[in-house]
Amino acid sequence: MNQADLSKLVSALRIAVKPKPRLFASPEGPAGRLRKLKATVTALVKYERIELNYPRAEEAQGYAERLISDAIRNGDCHKHTMEMADYWLDEKQLIHKLFKVLVPRFKEYNSSYTKLVLGPKTYPGYYAGTAILELKGNPFPALQPATQNYHYWLHNVLLDEAKREFRVAKAESNTNLSEPVASKN
Amino acid sequence: MLRRVVLQTFRQGLAQSFFKRNAASLSESAVTQHPIETSEEAGAKSGSKQKNGDESGNTVVVAPPEFRFMYPEFLPDPTMERRNKLKEKLERMDMLQRRSIIEIPEFYTGSIMAVTVADSNSPNKFACFVGICIQRGGSGLQAWFILRNVVDRQGVEILYEMYCPLIQKIEVLRLERRLDESLLYLRDALPEYSTFPFEMEAERRLNNSVVPINPIKVKLRPRPWLERWERQNLQGVEDLNLPQRYYDRAKEVAKPWEKYDLMLQYRKTIPAEEQEKIYAEVHSQLQQQDLKRKIKRRRGPSSEQ
Repeated sequence: MNQADLSKLVSALRIAVKPKPRLFASPEGPAGRLRKLKATVTALVKYERIELNYPRAEEAQGYAERLISDAIRNGDCHKHTMEMADYWLDEKQLIHKLFKVLVPRFKEYNSSYTKLVLGPKTYPGYYAGTAILELKGNPFPALQPATQNYHYWLHNVLLDEAKREFRVAKAESNTNLSEPVASKN
Repeated sequence: MLRRVVLQTFRQGLAQSFFKRNAASLSESAVTQHPIETSEEAGAKSGSKQKNGDESGNTVVVAPPEFRFMYPEFLPDPTMERRNKLKEKLERMDMLQRRSIIEIPEFYTGSIMAVTVADSNSPNKFACFVGICIQRGGSGLQAWFILRNVVDRQGVEILYEMYCPLIQKIEVLRLERRLDESLLYLRDALPEYSTFPFEMEAERRLNNSVVPINPIKVKLRPRPWLERWERQNLQGVEDLNLPQRYYDRAKEVAKPWEKYDLMLQYRKTIPAEEQEKIYAEVHSQLQQQDLKRKIKRRRGPSSEQ
C-alpha cells in the first residue's frame, strides 16, 4: 500500500487516464520517451491541431492537460509550474501563449481542454492508426458536426411517435387494471 | 514486534454493523451541517475554517489545507487499479470509529513518540516503546509508522499499524519535522542520533500553530552502508566525503527527467478536488473528537484538585 504524495497539489484531469503509461522504446530510453512527447506537446500548443499516431496522441494528451491545468491552478508566478512549462515547451514564445492565451481561454471550462479524434486507419499501415489531437476553442472548422441527432430526421420522428403510443397504451392498461372489473352485462 | 497484525476483529459482523454505521453517519451528516463553533486558543491546529457558500446559499464547510499533512492516511492508495470508492468510504468510517476510542495524534517523520501496546506475553500486560519516527506509510486502516531507538547498544525498529486494536496509547513526546521525509539513513548514522531515553517526558510545544523543522545534519558511520545515500537527495545528512567516482556514478544512474514527468506525478497523487472532498467528509468528526479530548484533558487535572 502506498501513501499518496503530498508535496504537490494537482488538479483532477477530465480525460480518461490509464493506470500504466506507454513505454515508447527509444535508443535514449525513458529520456527519449519524454523528449518525443515534449515535441508533440510543443506542436500541439503551437498549431492547436495536429495529426499523429494514436498511441503518441493519447500520451501527449495527458501531458498537455496536466500542463494546462497546472498553469490554470498556479499561474505564471509559481516556480514549479514555470519550470514545467519551460521544459515541456521547446519554443519559448509558447510559454507566453500558454499563460496569456490558453489559461484565460480554458479557465472557466468544466470539460477537458483537449480533444482526441480518431483519424484514418490506412491499410496496410500502422496498426493503431492515426488520431487528431486538438485544443478546444481552436480557430479551425470543427472536425465533427456539433450536433449529431436532429428531431426532424425520419427515424427520430418514427421513434418519438412509437414512444408516445407506448406511453398512451401503458396509461390505458393501468387505468383498466385499477378500475374494478366491470360487470359484463 | 507488531508486524502484520490481521484486523479480523474489525471485519466481524461487517454486514450488520455497516447498516448501523450507515444510519449513524446519516444522522451525523445532518448534525454536521452546523459545525460547532470552538472557542479555542488562537492558532489552534484546526486553523481557519473556510466556508464557501454555494449557489443555494447553504454554507459548505471545507477542511483547512493543513489536514492533508496531519492526516495523510485518510487519502486512498493512488494506484488506479486498487481504487474503490465504496471500500475507501467504509475504511474512513472505520478509521473515525477507531479514532473516537483512542487518540492518534498528529505526528511527522522525525517526531519522538511513545507507543503502548497490549501484550499478553509481558508481565504487566502492556509493552511500551519510545522511538523516533523514521518513516510512515500505508493508507486507510493499514497506515503504519516505524519507530527507531537504540536499546543497550542495539538498534531496534518497530513497525506499528496505527489502527491496530492492540495499540493502547500513542503519545507524541516531541513534535517536530526533519529535512527529509524518510529517516532510514539513521540506520547508518552514529547511534547517538537514534538514542532516546524510555523515561522521556512529553515536551510542551512553544508555538501551537507551527510544527518546527529540526535542521540537524546527521553524521554517518564509515562505509559500508545499507543504501547508496549519495544517490538519494538527502538534506539531513552531513557531507558524505566519498571519492568522486561515487558521485560520478550517481550522476550516470540518475533519472533527471522524472522530475518533469507530469503523468508520473499525477499517478502518484490524489487530485486536489478529491482531497478536499475526502477531508470535508471527515474533518468535522475529527474536530469534534479533538474538542472532546481537549475538554476532558482540561477537566481531568481540575477534577483531581
